[in-house]
Amino acid sequence: MRIARSLVTVVSSFRTQVCSCCCSIAHVTSWDNGSGFDMLQGLLSILRKLKSTPDQEVRILLLGLDNGGKTTLLKQLASEDISHITPTQGFNIKSVQSQGFKLNVWDIGGQRKIRPYWRNYFENTDVLIYVIDSADRKRFEETGQELAELLDEEKLSGVPVLIFANKQDLLTAAPASEIAEGLNLHTIRDRVWQIQSCSALTGEGVQDGMNWLCKSVNAKKK
Amino acid sequence: MGCWFSKKSKRKSPEKEPTPKTVEDKANSSSNANNIDLCSNTTEDPPKQYSWDKREKVDPKDFMLTGLKDATVGRLPGKLNGQQFVIQDCDNCKIFVLDHSATITIDDCTNCCIVMGPVKGSVFFRDCKDIKCVVACQQFRTRDCQKMEVFLCCATQPIIEASTGMKFGCFQYYYPELAFHFKDAGLSIFNNNWSNVHDFTPVSGETNWSLLPEDTVVLDHVPAPDPESEFKSVRVSAEASRSIVPMTKGGRRKESDESCLFVFFSGDYTTANARKLIDEASGKGFVLIQTKEVSMRPEDVSRVFQNDAEGLLEWITNGPVTALELNGDGVVEACKSMASDMFSGTKVFVSDNRNTSSRDVDNFFNFADMQMGL
Repeated sequence: MRIARSLVTVVSSFRTQVCSCCCSIAHVTSWDNGSGFDMLQGLLSILRKLKSTPDQEVRILLLGLDNGGKTTLLKQLASEDISHITPTQGFNIKSVQSQGFKLNVWDIGGQRKIRPYWRNYFENTDVLIYVIDSADRKRFEETGQELAELLDEEKLSGVPVLIFANKQDLLTAAPASEIAEGLNLHTIRDRVWQIQSCSALTGEGVQDGMNWLCKSVNAKKK
Repeated sequence: MGCWFSKKSKRKSPEKEPTPKTVEDKANSSSNANNIDLCSNTTEDPPKQYSWDKREKVDPKDFMLTGLKDATVGRLPGKLNGQQFVIQDCDNCKIFVLDHSATITIDDCTNCCIVMGPVKGSVFFRDCKDIKCVVACQQFRTRDCQKMEVFLCCATQPIIEASTGMKFGCFQYYYPELAFHFKDAGLSIFNNNWSNVHDFTPVSGETNWSLLPEDTVVLDHVPAPDPESEFKSVRVSAEASRSIVPMTKGGRRKESDESCLFVFFSGDYTTANARKLIDEASGKGFVLIQTKEVSMRPEDVSRVFQNDAEGLLEWITNGPVTALELNGDGVVEACKSMASDMFSGTKVFVSDNRNTSSRDVDNFFNFADMQMGL
């Protein structure tokens, strides 16, 4: 059963490498040697799971409204330069080693027009990271709505959710507690969740969020 | 505080009375931003203090322009100093944000002229109509906007969504502190993707955006500040020759088949040299198509410069290179002359002949686009 599931993960990540909404090739940085190399990587990862080596793979979905800071967060996690980031047209994917895990992070574009395509990426998600621009008060209702719909999704049921209250470096940013209250996060009963204030730009708070994420993955995989 | 969830949202599990939880640290007051009772449903360590918890609280209103009508408003140089700025519900206003900022959002504005000094992050227009603006930023975004004219300097590809009647031209502006503001915002005057816009909601048979005519006079669309206003002390200009950002033709059709790649390697006077070349080339009737300021690694040098790569490796380690594409009949020979006349003591790369120069241009700018794409 585990083998079959792993195979499905490899095949489905194959199919989604060309973005279905805008047909742009994803800016895939961890698979840049052609499909033969990808296949080998995929098979090796299955073999590793069979041998139950400690390098556990975690599939992370990074969602949120456009302009929230998802790609900046992704680049920050990968310790890359964040001074020149372009609005995401399809999706970005990176693999990051963290605390014994191999995190495969899928950063999906958040424009209103392409949110219907988020569901193409739900399958086999281990953790959902939802990024909120804490300084964009005009769109709090909209982001609350999108998050609520995600938490209602069958394919994401029970998946731990880490909410980053991002852009805390900006002066008008609302604190995490205010956002948590406004989003009624305390009514979430069907999964573990955490809201973490951060600045993806400076990196402050990001590692604290990721620590919780790794703990929640550990708890779930037991 | 109201609930921001949609009323249509259905919770899977039935509503229950909240179960009492052991709170790790009740010592914190309820105004503590990281009250763990609100922040998680898993047991956690006591809440951490971050830099934003310790800094002085400010009044958000000091960084907002809200509900103004028929007014000339904004911020003078030095009054914003890299902070966030918010503009909303303004009608028939002339807005001058003459300082560098972190990010600017503009909501529900109509019939306004807006000048924005360099923005380190994004400029995001939502639900705006009849706007004419001059903008310099890292990201440019619109949603649900109509009829805008934007004189733009954007470090990445501008995007529009559900917007119509959008027109773009090259950034063209000057005020004395502007060059410093570009530096403060971390923006390069040579990285300007003003003409290649991505539309998230294209409509077949129509275009939601277009380029402004090349001879558009900026001050006819975005007038200088009223001499009676608080901005009278700022010496503003929108002349092409004085513009901090060089005028580039961008995506407009090139007049000649002959282009030349001219690259300055990092040094103390790179910007001044590049501007000198642009002025000299313009004087001879050549056209500046595009520019890029980008870092190169050793492996990039051979791929981009190919046969000419030898000897250039040591020059890319000091900092980013500044590259220009100049266009016009005879431009290659002219560039080679200018290089020897004006820049004999400076390390530069110039295309060698008009048969291979287009390949030079393509190699370089394709590389730069890839480098800066993610």
